[in-house]
Amino acid sequence: MNLFQILAIAIVTGLLALSLVATVRGWATRREGLVWAFVWLCTGVAIARPDLTVLVAGAMGIGRGADLVLYCAVIVMLIGFFMVYARLRRLRRDLTLLSRHLAIRDASPTPPPTNPPCPAAKQIDEKHYPQRP
Amino acid sequence: MSVDCSNNIQPTTRPHADVPAGVFVVVPAYNEAPAIGAVLHELRAVYPNVVVVDDGSTDGTAEVARIAATYVLRHPINCGQGAALQTGIDFALLQGAEFIVTFDADGQHRVEDVAVLLSPILCGECDFTLGSRFLGTCVGIPPLRRKMLRLGVLFTRLVNGVNLTDAHNGFRAFSRRAAQRINLRLDRMAHATELIDQIRLSGLPFKEVPVQIRYTPYSLRKGQSTRGAIRIALHYLLGRVLL
Ligand SMILES: Nc1nc2c(ncn2[C@@H]2O[C@H](COP(=O)(O)OP(=O)(O)OP(=O)(O)O)[C@@H](O)[C@H]2O)c(=O)[nH]1
Ligand SMILES: [Mg+2]
Repeated sequence: MNLFQILAIAIVTGLLALSLVATVRGWATRREGLVWAFVWLCTGVAIARPDLTVLVAGAMGIGRGADLVLYCAVIVMLIGFFMVYARLRRLRRDLTLLSRHLAIRDASPTPPPTNPPCPAAKQIDEKHYPQRP
Repeated sequence: MSVDCSNNIQPTTRPHADVPAGVFVVVPAYNEAPAIGAVLHELRAVYPNVVVVDDGSTDGTAEVARIAATYVLRHPINCGQGAALQTGIDFALLQGAEFIVTFDADGQHRVEDVAVLLSPILCGECDFTLGSRFLGTCVGIPPLRRKMLRLGVLFTRLVNGVNLTDAHNGFRAFSRRAAQRINLRLDRMAHATELIDQIRLSGLPFKEVPVQIRYTPYSLRKGQSTRGAIRIALHYLLGRVLL
């Protein structure tokens, strides 16, 4: 094993341990923790035994192991990008709904009460508490 | 406002007594403290119900607005003009508004034109009116800004399939039932195109009305940039795909 492999494997092992600890302690959901643990495990194997990636690559009709790793990395990163983007948008939307609800609730001077509920509050309710009447 | 249902409505700033009850003017404002005081003063001289939605300003806009507005609502964080408009519309509807006008806080719109926007709706001729600076006049508009707005009109024609002369004007009026159909979800300026979609889908009649838009050094410093316009177009198209 060369120096790079030793360093990289040390780091990856640390990360693997961290994701397991996070899962056990409940910092991450079980699914998240396991996905990350799996990612680090694969990374570690690919670093320790590059020849294995050649085997898999060959089986998939890709010439070099390094290419296989590169393709996978790009695909995973793109998917990750999109998921984070979608989540950010949802977060932004919820923040906006919340801001709008607070604005109407705290209008000054306080207007006389009205019967129909504030629409932003209704949208929040429908989205997050659909079981509530 | 005595309603004149002939086709030549003159701009007017008659005092309170003439304004039909249930007219609400919604003013979205983001960091407009230097301009909003004067705007609100002029508005309040004619219209008794002026709702300011302070969109998370950091320059004390809400404090200035409190002096002159009927109601001040405040987003705790900046959510964009679309969200500010939606908040104001929802609030006005909750207060029993029958007619809602949206009016910019940066001094670009004329109070006289509010009557022009309202009158086709008061006459039952249509449910939405959209102010058009190209049917009316724009004072001091920079050539580049004019070209961008023309592109915006083209964009609206291609994407929304609606032929307007001015698609990105914040000066609009709604009847109650029209306002109830509006649900702006795109935060930033992309809401203008979204609004036109919703107007079209509602099937309610709408009409463009000439208004005057003033470009002042202040409004130009604060207003939209060309780069922003491209971002807005992308944002809208993405929103159509993702939401
Ligand atoms: N830019 C901006 N304006 C906001 C926001 N929230 C509310 N507004 C208000 O929306 C109104 C219109 O904003 P402008 O940026 O002047 O947009 P515009 O008048 O369509 O564009 P111009 O023709 O360049 O002036 C003003 O009254 C703003 O204070 C926001 O988040 N950003
Ligand atoms: Mg402006």
